[in-house]
Amino acid sequence: MSEFHLTEDQQDCLQELINIAMGQASDQLARYLDTFVYLKVPSIESVAAVELIQTLSQQQNTMAVVSQGFFGYEGIRGEALLMYQEEDSGRIADLLGYEPDELSQDEQLIDISSILTTTFLNVFAGQIDNQMSYNAPKLLPSIQNSISEHLQQMTFNWDLALKVNINYQVTDYSFNCNMILLIPETAIINIKNVLDRILAEF
Amino acid sequence: MFDLNALLTQKCSTESTLTESMLKQINCQIANQLNTGVLVVDAGFNIVLWNRFLQVHTDNIVDNIIGQSIFSAFPELPERWLSRKLTSVLQLNTPSFCSWEQRHHLFELPHTRPITTDSEFMAQNCTFLPIIIENNSKHICILIEDVTDVCHYQGQLQKALDEVAQLSRIDGLTQIYNRRHWQESLAQEYAKARRHDKKLSLIMLDLDYFKLLNDNYGHQCGDMVLIEVSALISSLLRVEDLFGRYGGEEFAIILPETNLAGAKELAQRICDKIATTLLNYNAEIIKVTVSLGVTQLNGAEANYEELITKADEALYQAKALGRNQVCSAICAKTLVID
Repeated sequence: MSEFHLTEDQQDCLQELINIAMGQASDQLARYLDTFVYLKVPSIESVAAVELIQTLSQQQNTMAVVSQGFFGYEGIRGEALLMYQEEDSGRIADLLGYEPDELSQDEQLIDISSILTTTFLNVFAGQIDNQMSYNAPKLLPSIQNSISEHLQQMTFNWDLALKVNINYQVTDYSFNCNMILLIPETAIINIKNVLDRILAEF
Repeated sequence: MFDLNALLTQKCSTESTLTESMLKQINCQIANQLNTGVLVVDAGFNIVLWNRFLQVHTDNIVDNIIGQSIFSAFPELPERWLSRKLTSVLQLNTPSFCSWEQRHHLFELPHTRPITTDSEFMAQNCTFLPIIIENNSKHICILIEDVTDVCHYQGQLQKALDEVAQLSRIDGLTQIYNRRHWQESLAQEYAKARRHDKKLSLIMLDLDYFKLLNDNYGHQCGDMVLIEVSALISSLLRVEDLFGRYGGEEFAIILPETNLAGAKELAQRICDKIATTLLNYNAEIIKVTVSLGVTQLNGAEANYEELITKADEALYQAKALGRNQVCSAICAKTLVID
């Protein structure tokens, strides 16, 4: 096991922090969006750069991916990828409380992504006595609708990343999307230190 | 953007030398020298504070802008949309963003390159940050970054990329599709037709006695003929037809949603048109003819290459029968000779 892998205790601790954050985030989102937001139990795993490309490429019908970087104190940083499928994104403007002609499809995707990412991460940061800042969210260019082609052209400067996968569902608006938080290896060490500190306090 | 936290941290370590009022002066001067607009509104969207950048970029001097609603101070703002966006910042306590790529600008501000770029207003990246102060009242800080340069160069880059993409598809001499792009198109059309059970036909054609023409009149005359024939054929096609130069004097046309009868009719029109058009080269009248092979997709093909093979077979049949005519062939069926 490499220095970048989480111990069982660390994994449990992180899982618990994320569960709490998800609960609070879905509550906040429900108030703002005025509808129930369901979040599925997240999966946490370590992924190699090569595997990640394969996993993401296998996600069929991915229509769009929005990326948003986040960074906090103590070297906690990473990138959130929000993945959307065509059939799950028809009513985002409606969900966000906009008139459909007020904003383009791209802007709808970027807006909802930013709201989902920052709401969750703000609550999560609060759990670990941290504070997050964010980059502006970017819609990744889709090359002839093929996200995997785009991913294959990316060269990663990391080998291993911590991957947290959270699924958001808003059944009233048939909305569904996947949030993938990727924490590259240097930041994993930092998050392990934070987890150890929290574990020591109990 | 300057880091307030860093400044505050600094405050603790240098408390002996810098008073709070001095730090306030520093913060204030930084805010006023930033090349970024800073605008703070309260929870009712009334303006509480703005920096010098916005003052100098707003043409009509508004004396009493402080306390005014952001929507009356900047009537160009899309009120309903922006109110909803600002509400998300207040309610979720999260930042929100607006990029020039989705909205070129929110605030109608002049920019610093009015001469060397073509946009009227400053392209902007706007960030909306939640601000909570000591009495627990909520505010929103709006940062307005000038990205006119980024926008301008991105536009030029896109134009260049479009041109390169176009060039990589076009045959330099005849200005129709080159072999590579034409073949990619055939692969796509073939897959589409198979998937949706649509009709698809193909015409391959070749100039008759082209080598002789080159030998007698020179290669420049040959080039002229290739250009003229390409133009003549193009004028007979529909927009959805894909016309390319397959090889030296060989051309190919993909006809989506066209059956064999339609393709043969078109091929005959092309054949007649070229045979009856007199070309002019250095005051000499030149007559050229073409031979054409036609095929259609009938489901018996294993791949798109077999369509080319069939059209080629028909083309050689037309040559063998004396040129200046149309023949057709279909995969796995007997050769049909007109």
